[in-house]
Amino acid sequence: MIRLKGGRVIDPVHGRDATGDVFIDNGRIAAAGANGRKADQTYDVTGKIVMAGAVDIHSHIGGSNVTMARLLMPELPALAAKGGATIAPTPAAWGAFATGIRYAEMGYTTVIEPAMIPTHAIEAQLELSRIPIIDVGGLAILGNDDFTLGLLRDGAGKMAIEDYVAWTLAHTKCLWIKVINAGGSAAFKFNARSFGLDEMVPGYGVTSRAIVQALQYAVTGLGVPHPLHVHCNNLGLAGNVDTAVATIEAAEGLPIHFAHIQFYGYGSEGPDGLSSGAPRLIEAINAHKNVSVDIGQVMFGQTITLSGDILRQFDGRGAAKPKKWMIDQGDGNGTGIVPYKYRAKNFVNAVQWAIGLEIMLLAEDLWQVLFSTDHPNGALFVRYPEIVHLLMDRDERARWLEQVPEASRQVLNLPGITRELTLSEVAIITRGGPARLLGLTDRGHLGTGAVADMSVYSEQADKTAMFAHADLVFKDGELVVRDGEVVNVTWGRAFQVAPGFDAAIERRLDRFYDRYYDLNPSIFDVPADIAGRPERFATVPCLT
Amino acid sequence: MAVQVKRAKLAGDGALERASALLGRARLAVIGGLLTDIAGAEAALALAEKLGGVIDHAAGEGLCRASRIMRETGGCPASMGEVRNRADIVVLVGDGPLKREPGLLTALFPKKEGLPRPGNNSRGLVLLGCGEAEVPAHIPVTRIGLGNLDLATLVARLSAAVHQHQAQVRDDDLATTLQGLAERLRAGAFPVFVISYCDLDDQVLRTVLDMVRHLCVTTRAANLSVPAPGNGDGVNLCSVWTCGLPVRTSFVSGLPEHDARMYGARRLIESGEADALLWVEALPTFGVERPQGVPTVVLSSTGNGATAADDVAIEVGCPGVDHDAELYLWSIAGIGMVKATRPNGGAPTVAEVLGRIAERLGSPEARA
Repeated sequence: MIRLKGGRVIDPVHGRDATGDVFIDNGRIAAAGANGRKADQTYDVTGKIVMAGAVDIHSHIGGSNVTMARLLMPELPALAAKGGATIAPTPAAWGAFATGIRYAEMGYTTVIEPAMIPTHAIEAQLELSRIPIIDVGGLAILGNDDFTLGLLRDGAGKMAIEDYVAWTLAHTKCLWIKVINAGGSAAFKFNARSFGLDEMVPGYGVTSRAIVQALQYAVTGLGVPHPLHVHCNNLGLAGNVDTAVATIEAAEGLPIHFAHIQFYGYGSEGPDGLSSGAPRLIEAINAHKNVSVDIGQVMFGQTITLSGDILRQFDGRGAAKPKKWMIDQGDGNGTGIVPYKYRAKNFVNAVQWAIGLEIMLLAEDLWQVLFSTDHPNGALFVRYPEIVHLLMDRDERARWLEQVPEASRQVLNLPGITRELTLSEVAIITRGGPARLLGLTDRGHLGTGAVADMSVYSEQADKTAMFAHADLVFKDGELVVRDGEVVNVTWGRAFQVAPGFDAAIERRLDRFYDRYYDLNPSIFDVPADIAGRPERFATVPCLT
Repeated sequence: MAVQVKRAKLAGDGALERASALLGRARLAVIGGLLTDIAGAEAALALAEKLGGVIDHAAGEGLCRASRIMRETGGCPASMGEVRNRADIVVLVGDGPLKREPGLLTALFPKKEGLPRPGNNSRGLVLLGCGEAEVPAHIPVTRIGLGNLDLATLVARLSAAVHQHQAQVRDDDLATTLQGLAERLRAGAFPVFVISYCDLDDQVLRTVLDMVRHLCVTTRAANLSVPAPGNGDGVNLCSVWTCGLPVRTSFVSGLPEHDARMYGARRLIESGEADALLWVEALPTFGVERPQGVPTVVLSSTGNGATAADDVAIEVGCPGVDHDAELYLWSIAGIGMVKATRPNGGAPTVAEVLGRIAERLGSPEARA
């Protein structure tokens, strides 16, 4: 048994923020003296902050889209480091191994890859299996693939959609379903350059709204713990807060999660036709308890954007910096990759930066509003500590607000916001909230029986420094980080859900792939022992 | 003397020890060929890192050309599924695509109804500088031969026509033909150029990709690349997600460093810079010959083995034949699973052998 003695234990799931001890036994959080045992190892963490390991709900860390981005821009880590990001200036820093190491150093122990292309799931799961220490899970993308669209066009019915969703989860070994610009990427194949919630997908005659609702019903009907993960239409367009609010209302009370909501927080007020839509958005979120969001916070500096919203990425290719881009017109959504540098002196970038912070700082219920940068789209994940700093320190915000254009300050609410998040609130948006939403009830908190994923920090006024490197990190009860550096490389697990499905859908899919692709879908079926690791996958039960 | 080893003898006859000793004492070891599956590539990368060596693939030249163009300009590719279902004009550039993929035309123009597609043009094939390729009767085809031109010039003239450059061109039949094709491409709903990175030079590739970028301003357009042989694309992707860089990467300094010219396996051996070779040919070799001249460990599924006195040869299984394997599959434009067609053949996998060689190596410090 291990004892962490005398730290300030912050566990908002159990309403705990007090000095005390935490015990670990056999990889789990244990009660003091459990089974009549005494600690045989003690870490004195007096004066330090003790939290559960952090959980990242939305970070592009592996898969064919990520590796295409690595191919396009191996110089990304070097450029980011030049701008001050805490990342080694080598292409290897963007590889699978370094990803797990850097996440662990910051105190993260679970990370979700949010865009797994079903036909490329084997590559994605292989890549994820090479990321050390952290546990992972994947979101399978549906909604622009021809099979979904064909089912909807043909009025196949709710059960058929449910079976297809379940089949996709089984084949990809994913944890949840995501829809990206529902119908928009399919419309791009017909040369559409924009696509709204009620527009029809050419060739199929189904609307974006119908796609989202059908998948939402299917995910809910199957009892998948995490609600449908939605990337809305019209990402990045001024005035798109209308689309986000309309999509929230279209959910009709069913659980729904909106990814990187900052990118939909744009009003169209002001002399430049762009303003913060955060107040309107947060009003809608506050009024719809069925809704959760992650932020997709933007930070100034070099990054690269990658997305299955190929329509949006194609439209944004002109802003590429450096001037190169990749539009991969693959099956289903495809992928668009556009390098981008957010600049503090740029009016639009400054508005984007502020809107993400505004949403988090204006939220009534932080359990609905979760932390992310949509890595790497808003910022590289290594920049999370800087964001926490901004949320916890209004002086730090003021320092940055002085550096953005006056015109942007005029259309923002951030200068008037004085709220500073507490450590407990940070623990909600980085630990308890994401774990709860993901249905991973064994983590994100320090209750007895929870998996012993923990991070320990030295409290500092400089929150960037504080959260950049944890003093100690435990994964499954094993010490993996000491004094901000990995001391023990372990290998985690991948989560999946496995709702059953009627075998008839398999026969139907076999015919579909034979007819249109001349292949059998078994070739992209992720094996249970991926990378030669029979214990790799852990199944999260569906809700009953 | 040369050592030929099969699995039954693997543990007992010291082949692994000889292989690890040969590699471990090298000043610079190169892992080449890499005709293997993803698991084999991962093991090779781990071994290269441990040795402080270099990795390359038998199709490294083409893979590095593709990677460099991607790194410098990006790209606009499409999957086989999208092209066969939705492209209305398919232009094959040069002989490479059909040489690499003899069944290509049937795959691109199946005798089946496709998915809903943009526009209502009939589908058609254009053979641009392809020689006298045989085309199935059901495919409408336009042939544009090289005539007196080389492929680079032919493609450049088509590009000028696509861009509607006002050029003083002799009013010959070819100019008229290329103007006609350019108009078809501009009016197409989804024109696609099929290319082979391993067979086209840098200039042709860049011109083709530039045409695609120009066309896609007003219509959907893309290129379809036939994959490099020997699971080259799979090995290359694996290298990228592992160390951030494509093949022809060195681990000499501890950090990976890529250089398409400097770290070519053949050049390193012929120049004398490398003094040991680990050559992997578990998949068919497509005619590539192993570099000679340095002590070599050969992992082969075909019986090709030691050729010099101090070589070590170890038989391995063929991925997708003797054991299940993850390989790059063109049909999904990604990595898929190929089930063994004659499992339990007895030979170990490349990953198993490389892992056991790595186990026998001491740390770089100890070897030094």
